[in-house]
Amino acid sequence: MQIDYKNLYYPPGGILLWIIIFIELITFGIALIAMVYVSKQEPALFHESRLQLNTTFGTINTVFLLTSGFFMANSVHELKLNNLLKAKKYLMTTMLFGIFFLILKSIEYYLKIDAGLGMDANVFFTFYWMLTLFHLSHVIVGLIILAIILFGMRKENNTSVEDVEASAAFWHMCDLIWLLVFPVIYLIF
Amino acid sequence: MTRQNIFIWALLMTLTVSAGLLSRVATAYIIPIIIFLAAVKFIAVAFYFMEMKMANSFWKIFLSIFIIAFSVAILKFIY
Repeated sequence: MQIDYKNLYYPPGGILLWIIIFIELITFGIALIAMVYVSKQEPALFHESRLQLNTTFGTINTVFLLTSGFFMANSVHELKLNNLLKAKKYLMTTMLFGIFFLILKSIEYYLKIDAGLGMDANVFFTFYWMLTLFHLSHVIVGLIILAIILFGMRKENNTSVEDVEASAAFWHMCDLIWLLVFPVIYLIF
Repeated sequence: MTRQNIFIWALLMTLTVSAGLLSRVATAYIIPIIIFLAAVKFIAVAFYFMEMKMANSFWKIFLSIFIIAFSVAILKFIY
């Protein structure tokens, strides 16, 4: 059955997931605006702290997530064309880039902790850790969802296009959140 | 793999690297440009990778209002 996406109640990925996506975006959005507001009290501290972040790591991680999202979009496209083999291949590539993101983020966290820049270092790093860890938890949940979908596609081919679309929407939500987090934390202060 | 997706991915890569490089330039005018680039990337992912361009106008307007409000709030408080 073809889904009518123009119907208000059937956005790609499903209305329930889109309600979750908006709640998440608003939550992260308010936290980031609060961070910028607080930075007005100590602009020098925020600038000095921001310079201690590795912008190259942040940029590469953005590339990893967006490339992952690109393969996810292709996976959904191929599944709709009934190219199951290609859909699975693209889904695995999606997960691979998600794992690259986790690895680089882990290295970044290790270096920060090693440098004594933990959550209690200053107010900038409190925001940094809370926001990036909260985002990271979404990426981990997203990877688990994608693994379940991939397992379903491999085992009995009983995973519907709607299931994959909903999983894709969750995965892309991680991209959207990162696109808000990355410029504010890594670039503007 | 569609030609449109490849184009959007190339655009996203270009904007991401540009934002990273621009952040090294120390002028006050860079911040609005970085936020604008982030907003363009946000819309590109939502409308093309998430296929929201096919959705009801309500969702498109809601997403657009969100990213505009977020960008304006960030710029209002940063200066």
